[in-house]
This record gives sequence, C-alpha cells and structure tokens, in this order.
Amino acid sequence: MLNTAGLSLDQAPPIGVPFAFFLTAPLFAVAAGGLLLWQGELILISRWTPPALVVTHLIALGFLTQIMCGALLQMLPVLAGSPVPRVVLVGRATQVLLILGTLSLSAGLLWGGAAWLTLGGGSLMAGLMIFATATGIALTRARGVRRTVVAMRLALVALLVTLLLGVLLVVVLLGGWRLSGFVDWVNLHLAWGLLGWTGMLIMGVGYQVVPMFHVTPAYPDWLMRWAAPLVAVALTVASALMATGQGAAATGWMGLGALCFVVFAGVSLDRQRRRERPRLDATLLYWRSAMISALLAAALWLAGGRAELVGVLVLIGVGIGLPSGMLFKIVPFLSWFHLQHRQVATRRFDVRVPHMHTFIPEAPARIQFGVYLVALLALVAAAALPAFDVAPGVGKSLARLGGFALVLSSGFLWFLLARSFWRFRGFGL
Amino acid sequence: MITAITDSFTQDHHRCDHLLAATEASVGSGDWSAIDAAATALVDAMNRHFALEEDVVFPALARVFRVAENPIEIMCSEHAQMRQLFEELGESVAMCDKTAVLGLLETLHFLVQQHNYKEEGVLYPMADGALPEQAAEMAALLNQV
Repeated sequence: MLNTAGLSLDQAPPIGVPFAFFLTAPLFAVAAGGLLLWQGELILISRWTPPALVVTHLIALGFLTQIMCGALLQMLPVLAGSPVPRVVLVGRATQVLLILGTLSLSAGLLWGGAAWLTLGGGSLMAGLMIFATATGIALTRARGVRRTVVAMRLALVALLVTLLLGVLLVVVLLGGWRLSGFVDWVNLHLAWGLLGWTGMLIMGVGYQVVPMFHVTPAYPDWLMRWAAPLVAVALTVASALMATGQGAAATGWMGLGALCFVVFAGVSLDRQRRRERPRLDATLLYWRSAMISALLAAALWLAGGRAELVGVLVLIGVGIGLPSGMLFKIVPFLSWFHLQHRQVATRRFDVRVPHMHTFIPEAPARIQFGVYLVALLALVAAAALPAFDVAPGVGKSLARLGGFALVLSSGFLWFLLARSFWRFRGFGL
Repeated sequence: MITAITDSFTQDHHRCDHLLAATEASVGSGDWSAIDAAATALVDAMNRHFALEEDVVFPALARVFRVAENPIEIMCSEHAQMRQLFEELGESVAMCDKTAVLGLLETLHFLVQQHNYKEEGVLYPMADGALPEQAAEMAALLNQV
C-alpha cells in the first residue's frame, strides 16, 4: 500500500507548535551571550568552570535541542510521511519541561544545590522522554526517504543515550554514585550529544535540504548509506569500551565518528559550491560557516588542541549557526504556506498572500549573520589565546566582545523571527 | 517494476528547477529583457508539465485507482497556488521590481520542492503501478514539443 500521509497540510501540526520552539530558542542564546559578556574570560579558560558548563547547556539544550525538537515535529509529516501522535500536547509538554529543565540545570551548575540539579535532570528526563516516545512512534511508521529516516532514528536513540548519560552525571554530582574516570564519561556524554543527536540529525536533514534549498547535486549514495550508521557504531563501541574501563581506546572510536562528520561537512561544502541557485543568501552563509567550523573543530580535536576552542567551534559555530540559517528558510515558508492554505480554505482570493521575503527580507538576515560572525570570530580568538603568550587583557576584551555580539545577534534573530510571526498573525485572513 | 512515469516526470521537475535557477541568475544581470525571457521559459515549462499531469496522467490514474482522488486533488490545488505565483511573477517582471521577483522565485521554489517531493514519492509510483500499459506512452509525451 502506498503511503499517502503527509500530502496535506492537515497532517502538519498547527503553526503555533513549531513557532513556540523557534521563538523561545534565541532567548537562550541571548542568555548564553550574556554569561559570556559577564564572565567570558573565565568560561574560555576552562571548560570545567561552572559558567562554562552553563553556557554549554544553554546552547545545547535551550537553543539547539529546542529548535531541533520543533523542527522535527514540523518535518516528520512531510519528510517521512508520518505525523506525530497528539502533536500539540506532545509539543507543549516537551517544551515546558525542556525550558524548566534547562533553566534548573543551569542554576544547579552555576550555584550548586541538589534541588536545582534534581529538578533540572528530572524535567529534562521527562520532557525528552515524551518527545522521544512520540517521535519514535512516528519514525517507526515512517516510510519516506530511507537514508534520512535511518539517520533520524539513530539521532533519536543518541538523544536518549545522551540524556541517560547526563542524568548519570547529575547523580554522580549529587554524590549518589561514585564513578571512576569522570572526565571520560563527560566526554562520552558530549560525543553522544554532539556527534550522535546533533550530528546524525544534521546528516539526515542535510541529505534532503541541501539539494532542495539551493539545487545542488544529491549527496553520494555511499555517504548517505554509511555515514550515520558508522557514527552510531563508533559511539556504541566507544561506550562499551568506556564501560569496561578502556577510556583511551574509547576516545579513538569517537575520533572515527568525528571523521564521518568531517567527510559529510566536506561533501556538503562541495555540493553547495556546485549549486545552481546563484544567490549567496544568509542560509548558505550559515551552512558554510558551520561546516568550516565543524572541519576546524574536528582537526583541532584530533590534533589534541584546546578543548575550549573546540567547544566554541562546535557549539557556537555549528550549534548556533546552522539552526539560525535553517530558520531563515523554514519560518518564512511556514508563514507563507499556512496563510496560503487559509486563503484557499476561506476562498478569499481577493487578497494576495505576501511572498517569503516579506516575512524575513534578505538584507536584515545578512546583517544578522554579520553580527553573528563577529561573535564567532571574537570567541574563537579568545578561546585560542591562552595557547599563546598574550597579555591577559586581550583575551578578556575579546571574550566580552564575543559575548556582546552574541547577545546582539541572537536578539536580532529573535526579532526577525518574531516579526515574521507578527506579520503572519496580523495578516487579514 | 515499471518506473517510466516516475523517471520521466522527475526528470522534468529537475528541468524546471534548472530553469528557476537560471531565472534567478538572470536577475543578477539587471537586463530586464533577459529576465523576462528566463521567467517566461520557466512558466511555460511548468504550465506544460501541469497540463500533462492534469489532462493525461491524473485523470487516467483516478479512473483505475479511486484512492488516488484525494492526493490528486491536493496536487491540483498546489498547481493552482503556483499559477497564482506565476501571475504575480509576471507582474513583478513587467514592473522591473527586483525585490519582488526574487521573493516570488524563492516562494515558488519552496512550494515546488515540497510539491515535487510528494509527487515523486507518492503520486508517480502510484501511477506507474496502476497504469503499467500506458506508462511508457505518457512518459514519451514529455519529450514531444
């Protein structure tokens, strides 16, 4: 039987569901920028300082995971031909718990306190389990493009493993359990979160949207077939080695996972170079800066470079950059598409639905990218500096400049998204 | 398994993608007669594609496969949305309004991509399966000028 689900807009969630995720996420990036503005030099000196841990989670959970959840709820019906059951309820519950969990965890990491850590870990556990269960059901029924569906399923499993490892680390922090090789376990949590959940989802989505957005050649089949499963195998073997106390060997397997993403990033840049649509829009600029950041991060990590610099490249270069670029396409299209649908439903053919650039024009989107790029470059420089013998004042100024630019660019991103939504809401249909 | 309709109509989608990209490229030149020619070529190619689907493939499919009626209706309503955009595109080209032309091409591109995705994944395979004897003949129609 052929799958006809996902053909109609009726299958998609109400526009308020994804938009709630998209409009909340930039506020967490503003908060991360604010913390960098306030204590940037401390954050970039060591990844183990409390504010560094908080910035990491504000970005990874508050911004990145928030957007990924909203986008998945929106995309699954279209991309995989499979709607998410009870999508409004699932969306709201996931989001409330995700926000509560991220804020509580951040408070716990920053100021200590068992209550905050417990509330944070518990809320995140509940929220992400609800999300993973609902999308997991949709993904088992999905019959869309196979390579993308496989990558998405693996990414969802990786989210659960990241979550479990995170909860384990919270339990250790609370003193409920002793764990030898704590640092290695944190690295494993990071690998599952960044390479697994984020990396594999980027792959699965990229296989579809890169050729679609800019009319590029398709990704090679060998890459689509092997990249995500190899990352999953590498992370699984690394975990097994870690559990049996072989931390060093585990790191090598994580490196294999990173190499898979290096190949993906290189191929993505090549496909986009061979695109047919000529314009260099903000989405393309973001894809480029994100893939270059990923390549630099992997090279640095494999060469044993500063972890803080790798963190800046991955979290700000990829984690903030790529979703921002995607939102500049997704949000105007959803606004236009829903208005168009409403026009047909109400038979109001006397009014003309405004085109996508009316919702988010190209020029301010490019300016937003420019401000973001200042943030990225300043923070990369600030994180690289401790490796050189430079006066401490320079690093401090750069970190603060980076934090300030991140507050500005994320605030501007929020404004552009919110204005798009207001224009959608205010349109007389 | 027959894939004549899927293959040939998908290929025609790609041909239209190239024409849309060429129209966008022409906007950079600022030569409005070239932009007009590129936009006309795009709209003509897409209208021809719609006509073959709406006059030949979809009616034949609906006759033998009742389940297809609802998806066909959705596809045709999206064709109507695209025709609306063609009209606006023509007006913007006539007014030499670069911002509007680029915004409309972007919107058309996204609407087309998600539409093609559904046709290529659902409608065409359905047609190939339901119309095995006519598939090759229908595919050949695309190559006739």
